Amino acid sequence: MASDGEVVINREQPPRLTAFRVTLLIFALAAIFSLPALRGSGRSLDHGANLGRFLDRFWPPDFSILPQIFPALIETFQMAVLATAFSAAFSLVIAVAAAQNISPRPVVAAARFGLNVIRSIPSLIWALLAVAAFGANSLAGVIGLTVYSVGYLGKFFSDALESVETGVAEALRATGANAIQGFQYGIWPHARPLIWSQTLWMLEYNVRSAAIVGYVGAGGIGTWLHTYQEYYQWDKFATVLVCILVVVLILDFAGSRIRRQCA
Amino acid sequence: MDIAEPAQLEVRSLALARGGRLLVQDLNFQIPRGRFVVIAGPSGAGKTSLLSCLAGLLPAQRGSVVYGGQHGPHEFRRRLGLVFQHLRLTPNATAGTNALCGLLGQLPWWRTLAGFSREEKTSAAELLTELELSDCEKVPVRQLSGGERQRVAIARALIATPEVVLADEPVSHLDTRLARAVLARLQRETRERRCTVICILHHDELAEEFADSVLNLKKDAPGEWHLTERSS
Repeated sequence: MASDGEVVINREQPPRLTAFRVTLLIFALAAIFSLPALRGSGRSLDHGANLGRFLDRFWPPDFSILPQIFPALIETFQMAVLATAFSAAFSLVIAVAAAQNISPRPVVAAARFGLNVIRSIPSLIWALLAVAAFGANSLAGVIGLTVYSVGYLGKFFSDALESVETGVAEALRATGANAIQGFQYGIWPHARPLIWSQTLWMLEYNVRSAAIVGYVGAGGIGTWLHTYQEYYQWDKFATVLVCILVVVLILDFAGSRIRRQCA
Repeated sequence: MDIAEPAQLEVRSLALARGGRLLVQDLNFQIPRGRFVVIAGPSGAGKTSLLSCLAGLLPAQRGSVVYGGQHGPHEFRRRLGLVFQHLRLTPNATAGTNALCGLLGQLPWWRTLAGFSREEKTSAAELLTELELSDCEKVPVRQLSGGERQRVAIARALIATPEVVLADEPVSHLDTRLARAVLARLQRETRERRCTVICILHHDELAEEFADSVLNLKKDAPGEWHLTERSS
């Protein structure tokens, strides 16, 4: 109780359990719970020597196979480009449906559920499903990667659209523009640089993924990776890895230059 | 006032509230075609809310807004030109494209899907030149100054030759010379095309110079509005 004339200020104590601290605690507990995953085979092995012996087989890479794998490398790039183009087109439509500031709530919920389902299945499984449906060829790879990419691009695009202030679109609609015009001239110009940047990122990602889906028969350079691994031809396997690395580095460099231009 | 002609805009027993505060009540007035009306009053008096209500963007608590004797703001919106207080332009689009956006209400969506026609672009360029923005036509709005952006917003409002222009502080970022030029351009719309212009202005001097009527709103006195005719 304050005495007469004394001003009492009740300072609110900061909460001890902030969202950050609770999340950190949960993560720490989850990490402790997950420790058994670090259990090895139980055998006493010389891990360093094992790894050294394995990597020795990669050196020197056998570049004589370059003419043989070059068409597959081109096919991998083609698969990635087509999958990215198709998925970007589909994703844009789905993203409009999944954006809370554009579509009604039931449509948003349905679109987001669909995107979550797609994202929860790995690209290799989508490729496997596509191989089962369309046979072991690059078409299966394109379809598998397209579906998988839609899961991510749809989410990224809808986030980009949601970050846009709808005031401009509302202003245009106030003078008679319809919903499509409001989107095209009021929302799209704001979201376009981000969407373009995310599409380029997906292209880079799809080149890496396209190199892997060949493991399940979905075409591209992954088929050679699988073959060389099966026959323990690690020097040739290393050559394929170098080729993939070069393509990814070139794309990464070009992508960041283009992104800078678009920003 | 030409009493033989029906009013272009009629406000009947309008009451407006925002944030639980009554701003205006029992507002009644008629505006014939071709008038330049200034809404004046201190900050918080409800000027922007009234303009938003006239544009059909803010529902009235009571009363109605009638355009052309029969239309509400929604049906009339294709014939409105709007200048917003915060402009609401597309920063990544050029001044020319932003001005052309004023035509969207007049054109079907499939016509504007691939952009605008050469004639439409020419008319936007002419309008921008009139507003002393000839150098800015191909410049993204994000690179323009506040005053330049404001004139782009005015071009967007005027390009579709609207019957009514509602402008919220359209010259707040302009120097006196440009402010006079822009208000003179709006006045020309009222004289030559008999367009009705209703704008919020904070400068008494400019209101005196350009307004045919002044609607004064008072803060915290919702019923004490006053419409003054300045010229016939």
